[in-house]
Amino acid sequence: MTTIQLFVTCLVDSFFPETGEALVNIFQRLGIDVDFAREQTCCGQPQFNAGLRKDARAIAEHTIKVFENAAGDIVTPSGSCAHHFRHNFLELFEGDSVWLPRAKAISARTYEFTEYLVDKLGVTDLGAKWDGMLTYHPSCHTLRGINVDKQPRALLQNVHGATLVELPHAEECCGFGGVMSVEHPELSAEWLKRKISNLESTQSPTLVVTDAGCLMHIAGGLNRQKKNQRVLHIAEILNHV
Amino acid sequence: MVTFRQRIVESINNENLQIALDNNTERRLKGRAAAFESIPDWRTRRKRAHAVRADVIEHLDEYLAQFIAKNEENGVIVHRAKDAAEAIEIFLKIAKNLPQRKQEESLVSLRELRGKKILIAKSKSMASEEIALNHALEKENIEVIETDLGEYIVQLRHERPSHIITPAAHLRKEQVAELFHEKLGIPYTTDIPTLTATARKVLREVFLTADIGFSGVNFGVADTGSLCIITNEGNGRMVSTIPPVHIALMGMERIVPNLDDLALMLSLLPRSATGQKLTVYTQILNKPLDGQTRHLIILDNGRTRLRNSPLKESLYCIRCGACLNACPVFRELSGHAYIGKDNSIAPYPGPIGSVISPGLFGENYVQLAQASSLCGACKDACPVDIDLPKLLTRVRAGQSPVISDQLSVNSEGAGLTASTKIALQIYTRVATHPRLFSAAQKFAALGSFLLAPSSKWIRLPAFTGWGYSKDLPKFAGKTFRDRYVKKIVESERFASRLRRDIETPTSGDVGVHLDKVEQFTQELIALGGHVYQTKNVTKDVIEFLKSRNINKIHLEPHTLDESLLKEANIEFTHEPDDQIIAGVTNTRCGLADTGSVLVADGEGNPLRGSLLPEIHIAILRAENILPSLPNALDLVKDQRAAVFITGPSRTADIEMTLTIGVHGPKEIHVFVDDSNLG
Repeated sequence: MTTIQLFVTCLVDSFFPETGEALVNIFQRLGIDVDFAREQTCCGQPQFNAGLRKDARAIAEHTIKVFENAAGDIVTPSGSCAHHFRHNFLELFEGDSVWLPRAKAISARTYEFTEYLVDKLGVTDLGAKWDGMLTYHPSCHTLRGINVDKQPRALLQNVHGATLVELPHAEECCGFGGVMSVEHPELSAEWLKRKISNLESTQSPTLVVTDAGCLMHIAGGLNRQKKNQRVLHIAEILNHV
Repeated sequence: MVTFRQRIVESINNENLQIALDNNTERRLKGRAAAFESIPDWRTRRKRAHAVRADVIEHLDEYLAQFIAKNEENGVIVHRAKDAAEAIEIFLKIAKNLPQRKQEESLVSLRELRGKKILIAKSKSMASEEIALNHALEKENIEVIETDLGEYIVQLRHERPSHIITPAAHLRKEQVAELFHEKLGIPYTTDIPTLTATARKVLREVFLTADIGFSGVNFGVADTGSLCIITNEGNGRMVSTIPPVHIALMGMERIVPNLDDLALMLSLLPRSATGQKLTVYTQILNKPLDGQTRHLIILDNGRTRLRNSPLKESLYCIRCGACLNACPVFRELSGHAYIGKDNSIAPYPGPIGSVISPGLFGENYVQLAQASSLCGACKDACPVDIDLPKLLTRVRAGQSPVISDQLSVNSEGAGLTASTKIALQIYTRVATHPRLFSAAQKFAALGSFLLAPSSKWIRLPAFTGWGYSKDLPKFAGKTFRDRYVKKIVESERFASRLRRDIETPTSGDVGVHLDKVEQFTQELIALGGHVYQTKNVTKDVIEFLKSRNINKIHLEPHTLDESLLKEANIEFTHEPDDQIIAGVTNTRCGLADTGSVLVADGEGNPLRGSLLPEIHIAILRAENILPSLPNALDLVKDQRAAVFITGPSRTADIEMTLTIGVHGPKEIHVFVDDSNLG
């Protein structure tokens, strides 16, 4: 029996627990045991991105301690957190002979959710069903940070009954950017506007993402603009059977 | 005092600017994507280019020593400047000790008109912006005229360039029309060819009468000492060919080891910058021309410090501007909004600017690095694969080099507002204590229930940042950790019956092999050039000249049958003459994949013959057409100077509209002599 460690992310844990549950269901259907280490909190990416390296290190050390003795690959429903584990951990502990090897060991075991399904398990059809149109927004860190793009697209292609339409300028950032959306709200607002108008042009009522950061940003913008489109994490689509 | 954030808002609210920037972004992104289609191996090239640049920066001292020695051997006077002040001092010394110039009468009178001020014709150089050269020279009563159309426009407006490749990217044609009407006295017109022709006319005078020609350098080749300068308009050629003195200013990191590496860079730089396979003019300058003095100033200005800092990788940059075009921040701002704490405009904008501006000039510009979502579009666009998001986070982490008096300010969270910093530090404490974390979640859930008891969303006020354009989802009443119950999985894996059908991308079509002449012809015609295949060159050139009513040409010796020209009453001279409408030159080779021809310095001054006239007629032997630039570099090594010409002179400096014929010829006609092909 395969066991995976779920790093659920602070956003899913606190705002979107349904996404975490969907992920657990999917793995259970695949016969995979999902372990959730309760000591986990946040990966520390906000601190890292803001330049607060000391803070980011403290959180990373905590996270490494939580996962280094737990069995199985670490799977997370966030390209952004996967990117943080995979790349930023190494940057944080560069030149540190104690922590760098520990960070590397963790980073080598970490996968983004769709990446794990497709690349590690070889699964592209989960038997999911969906009625209607879907369009996909590739999160920056999923697409460019860890080069995961064909995996979520393949999974969506195989959602039965769904019509997948391409989002214009899909590769453009939605303007979340973690602290940037607070530090530079005016910039963030412009990109969000553009993302939403691109979404509208597809006529699709549902936007699919691989990251709760983009989800809460775009959905928050849609709600502010009183639009009806929904933003869903891909796990919730794939869990729809 | 306007803050960076206020400047951002001004830019966003400036409708003209937003339209101009959208134009710039969309055309540049499309152009770049199309240009890279012709080199399907670009990912490999990019990795190689990264390795070449990494090696250069690692061994910069050795490469520079080699490069300088070669230049001195070539007769170039080399200077090194450790900072802006030194560079300017060197410049002034050169300007005050100009060699006596053989003056033609017409030129004397022009100079008198100008009151004997020293005149410098300047081609675009970011290094010169960095040291504020124009300002320093003007203070010394030296007149500097920018000759790149975009730079000329911003100089007339007393502005700084807003983009490192297209300096007037922030303007619309109506603004240029008004400017030219006001400053140059022409009737108001938004016709871009007319505006361009006006600049051509005004600046032609400048080229012909300038005491000094000034240019930047795109690449210095260590093992040959060559200076490579690329331009589209022809101003780079003018300033390095016509005035008696040429001064080239080069950032000390702009080295490539050899001509093969240069070819690699040239396959990436124009594609990334302007979506061209090659720029119109790719000059390789080895030795000064006859009667010309060439100075090369190699500028440090913080580069050594940067090289010894964690931002070292930013020195790999080849200044293509692709990261600016790809950047969603730049798209909203343009270069003028990137300001330091002292309100000064950062010399380099965009993602690379937000690294090297603090990297070279210190803490003043650190705040720029916080304006990024780290989306990575810049890294993706970079032709030398610089990890810009990583470097931005390093600037934020206070790792940009410390400049003496700013020691205390550089620290973690550089450029972050105080409130965000405190909030994140509190969050660190919470996130390193799981019980506290879980308690905080419950507290937040309760708080958000109180704020919005009947909605899934909380409307925060604008000052919170988040509330400016979006609502916040309510914290979940029951978090994932509360809901999670470990279930024992009993079902069999059914993954085995699931398909694995992700296709690995197939490499693009190998492409139909085209005959070299055919390919050369197609490429050049696509750029607006003309190609004629002939077995009787002189006869056909005469026929062409007659059809255009041209009876006098500047002719490179040993190019056409001169007795036939005489019979046909075509006057010719081997001396350059800026009144002549057509120049006929020989070529050393053609390049099939870009439609370029190589013209080298020699008897009869073909470099001028292919530059000053409105029409350039180039004679090319079919057997001399080579597949691509790397095959031609051996031909360049032993020339004094040479230029690859790729189509007619052009610009897109006004509203990205392609306009033909700026400073160089408006027309290029290549007569391909295939008599030896049988």
